[in-house]
Amino acid sequence: MEQIDLRSRARRAYELGRARAGAKAAGAALLLAAVAIVLGRPLDLTAVLSAALVPLVFVLAFRGRAAGRAVWPGLAAGGAAMLLPLAVRTAGCELFGPSCMRFCLPAAILGGAIAGAGIGLLAARQGENDREFLLSGMAIAALAASLGCTLAGASGVLGMAAAAVAAGTPIWLGARVRR
Amino acid sequence: MDRSARDALQRGMGRLADGDRSAFEPVFAALWPILRAFAARALPDRAEAEDAAQSALLKVFARAAEFDSRRDALAWALGIAAYECRTLRKTRLRRREDLSAEPPQGGQAHTPEDAAIDRNLHAAAAQILGALSVLDAETLLAAARGRRDPSATFRKRLERAIQRFRKEWRARHGAD
Repeated sequence: MEQIDLRSRARRAYELGRARAGAKAAGAALLLAAVAIVLGRPLDLTAVLSAALVPLVFVLAFRGRAAGRAVWPGLAAGGAAMLLPLAVRTAGCELFGPSCMRFCLPAAILGGAIAGAGIGLLAARQGENDREFLLSGMAIAALAASLGCTLAGASGVLGMAAAAVAAGTPIWLGARVRR
Repeated sequence: MDRSARDALQRGMGRLADGDRSAFEPVFAALWPILRAFAARALPDRAEAEDAAQSALLKVFARAAEFDSRRDALAWALGIAAYECRTLRKTRLRRREDLSAEPPQGGQAHTPEDAAIDRNLHAAAAQILGALSVLDAETLLAAARGRRDPSATFRKRLERAIQRFRKEWRARHGAD
């Protein structure tokens, strides 16, 4: 095999390897969507959110760099934030009865704050390209969390997003100032 | 490979794992000669060594996205190359066993040298067959003459006989 041919085959192998990594992350995003549906979220809304989340996750993981590094933390943080309101509805309603729904908005906000703080902490450790990490991580976490936070309506999603930004940005900015 | 080249490879692999495509060329240029030399040392046949090196290189790049930059890049790549060499050696061995189990085609040795080698090999094989149990020797001979019983029992018996033959060969001649 000519070296040029070998080089192009190696390049193709590398890109395919990255596509595999992207597919793995996209699979995890699909799994989150499936969990949301199993826990009672409406199919159409989940499908719309997944239609944005899954390709975004694939493209960022495939591309790599700081945005690619943010994919798994974003999914983990967003997944946790997604589960909080859903846990309130499933387990919470067993404990508190029908009044459990009033805890959905606080749960969405709390989940958003936890996700934002987690992403902010990790972004602060990134050194250069931390902004790219923060933005990608927040976008993925927000979309993933929305799968569950829509339970509290648009205010749940907005509250979650605002809490994520409010918790994550100061941590990240603080780290930037210290550097 | 000197320390600075090894560090450069480590950095390059780390960048490649992170998705930095600009690290592809330097990593390719650094790895290819190393894998080629490694495979040439591990496999006596030049063509096979080249195949193993190419296959290892493609696998290294296919798995570059999974590379953990805390690990040693050179050791990681050589581990993949060693696996490729081992796989190729096993495949070659299996092929050779299959060929030796085929019935003789009636072909004669082409040169006196070939004939002498054939005679030596036959003598060595006969010696080892004599050292095996009667059942093993009969199984091997039946397979070599093309009288293979299609049953699973025969296949397993043949497999065991080949293993014992190989072990005996290794003990006497030190190689496969």
